[in-house]
Amino acid sequence: MDFSFNEEQEMLRKSARQFLEDECPKKFVRDMEEDEKGYSPELWKRMAELGWMGLLLPEEYGGLGGNFLDLTALLEEMGRALLPGPFLPTTVYSSLPILHYGTEEQKREFLPKIAEGKLIMTLAITEPSGRFDEAGIETKAIRSNNDYLITGTKLLVPDAHIADWFLCAAKEGEGITLFLIDAKTPGINCTLLKTLAADKQCEVILDNAKVPARNILGKSGAGWEIASKIEQWGAIAQCALISGCLQQVLEMTVDYTKERMQFGKLIGSFQAIQHQCADMAIDVDAVKFITYEAAWKLSQKLPATIEVSRAKAWTSDASRRVCLTGHRIHGGLGLTEDHDMQLYFRRAKAMELAFGDGDFHREIVAKELGL
Amino acid sequence: MDFGFSPEQEKFRQEIHEFLENDADAKGAKEEWAAGNGYGPHTWVIMKKLGARGWLTPAWPKEYGGLGLPAMYRALAMEEMDYFTGRGSRGVLCGIGMTGTVLLGHGSEEQKREYLLRISRGEIDFALGYTEPEAGSDLANLSIKAEDKGDYFLVNGQKMFNTACHYAQYHWLGARTQVVEPKYKGISLFIVDLKTPGITIIPIQALGFKTNQIFYDNVKVPKNCLVGELNRGFYYIMEALDHERTYTTSRLNGELEKLIQYAKTSGKSKDPIIRQKLAQLSTEMEIAKLFALRIPWMLDRGMRPTPEAAILKVFYAELQQRVINTAQQILSPYGQLKKDSKWAQLDGEFELEYTASLEGIITRGTCEVMRNIIALRKLGLPAR
Repeated sequence: MDFSFNEEQEMLRKSARQFLEDECPKKFVRDMEEDEKGYSPELWKRMAELGWMGLLLPEEYGGLGGNFLDLTALLEEMGRALLPGPFLPTTVYSSLPILHYGTEEQKREFLPKIAEGKLIMTLAITEPSGRFDEAGIETKAIRSNNDYLITGTKLLVPDAHIADWFLCAAKEGEGITLFLIDAKTPGINCTLLKTLAADKQCEVILDNAKVPARNILGKSGAGWEIASKIEQWGAIAQCALISGCLQQVLEMTVDYTKERMQFGKLIGSFQAIQHQCADMAIDVDAVKFITYEAAWKLSQKLPATIEVSRAKAWTSDASRRVCLTGHRIHGGLGLTEDHDMQLYFRRAKAMELAFGDGDFHREIVAKELGL
Repeated sequence: MDFGFSPEQEKFRQEIHEFLENDADAKGAKEEWAAGNGYGPHTWVIMKKLGARGWLTPAWPKEYGGLGLPAMYRALAMEEMDYFTGRGSRGVLCGIGMTGTVLLGHGSEEQKREYLLRISRGEIDFALGYTEPEAGSDLANLSIKAEDKGDYFLVNGQKMFNTACHYAQYHWLGARTQVVEPKYKGISLFIVDLKTPGITIIPIQALGFKTNQIFYDNVKVPKNCLVGELNRGFYYIMEALDHERTYTTSRLNGELEKLIQYAKTSGKSKDPIIRQKLAQLSTEMEIAKLFALRIPWMLDRGMRPTPEAAILKVFYAELQQRVINTAQQILSPYGQLKKDSKWAQLDGEFELEYTASLEGIITRGTCEVMRNIIALRKLGLPAR
């Protein structure tokens, strides 16, 4: 048993925190909410130079050969800073599946470019059904000689408007197949949706978009196995973001109780406030450990279905609880747009929903328990 | 990070597990515990057997009957014992967790020789003697008086809810040796033989367990029974409480496992609401397990886990309430049937637990006091 990050991970965390404090202040976060692209190509390039895009990729593809715990340390800092942009869509949702399921040719084509920060990718799975399971996919892929024609609507696709390539799930006969699709393919239409967190999620309509058969990821008809793996990786990545986000909310809130006077006293001296802060601290510790345990399992390449779903179930609910308590303690001030609290509150909801909320993951846990 | 156990740790755990599963006295002891009356004859036998193997105090030095192992081994041993004992398991015992911990750090050499070996061998235990009618959460308010009479201390006063008094040999007594502000600076710790003249023990039947009031009437306590320095008792108490709040989750997890099994066999597991609730409890159980293992991990690194132990206590005790309430909901009308009643389900366990578990949110510091500790000691909020 060891509950601490190792030295390299602590160094990564420390340098990431410093870098993001300098490069991703809250003004930048607010600017990116208004910005149509929603990210800064300049910052993206600098993150690539730090090796972040290739953190999980082997050295032969230009990566650093890190594991899921290394990623967790980095993502916690990104969550703390509320870093906007297509980091997870490009890395965890796209480069990892290519690394694990792609042909050598696909790996050579995509991975070095991703590691260098020269390629933005995203994942197009969710559809108007709003479901995260296989039955939610209605987009169709029809074979035509050496190509496929893909038709359907993908929803809430993160950063699709700036992506160079999509990893897209479509129904082929009774099975699901995953395709690597060039965003410039004729017949693809992307519309930015307006969201609670002002993050950049899109509608992507595919109308007979022609994709060469060699762009299938994995086996034809066996794409859901990959998709569920991506959902697992995506879920734990969201947990790590939430963890960092909530650590910051707790610190911000506790700091505020130590400076805010009411009734002639610091509000942090009132037990009503103290107990709420204690409950936040318990939640945050729980979020950390349940996330670390699942990330550790993944880093050891052990089966982690139940651990990941326990983590996402707990962190999803905790993110709402902790942010809500943060708001209660900040009072009216926290409700103003100038205050950072509302940024965390809105982002936390997006993270809660990504790759399944608490109810969704509890059902997976129930199945895993044999219920 | 590492969320697994080493092969040596697994082997250690397995040995204890097999011993408890196969030993005839272990089964007898389990029944005695479940009755809520404390140690009976089988318990003393099994304590001695466990003690002879060093399993009661694996983290103590070898010269005092321990195995000289890291605190993580003690957690593993406790997990196995709590899992086996099931209902009625009292977690950390006073002799091992409180007396032993304080004596190892602050006791005289004479006291260590006198008591530690006998504790580790399972020959004696102590009754925790802190709570009084006017000193519950506000422990520093305790008023039982110990006067220095030159050759001895003269003790007068009353204690409340001192649960082990009717089967332990010694009292681990916190008494006032000086009237002073702040009050915690006038408390000292004593070891008192419970057979000393002037001590009267009066039983109290509580919900699911037996406890006691204890009266001291001009009790003479020898000078060499003072533990550590005079008026430093409260510091020792606080230090040892971090250890006493070392819970394991294995017992509660055992109950959840039974409940999950019941849901499966009764067909209730098809209900989506029940599926959600059990999945949530299983998630919370995993968190509680990690909170529990964090304590020995910190102790092994020389860190003092005060707010961490408070987090564990709050989370565990409140989880216990949720497990039992969910059990009651799943059992529905059957939940009220007692152990020996016709139609009782799961041996009436959750009828008993419905009341017996209340102790959990009170004892060893209420959940509210724990939240104070987290707020002040972990988050650094202002005391007033």
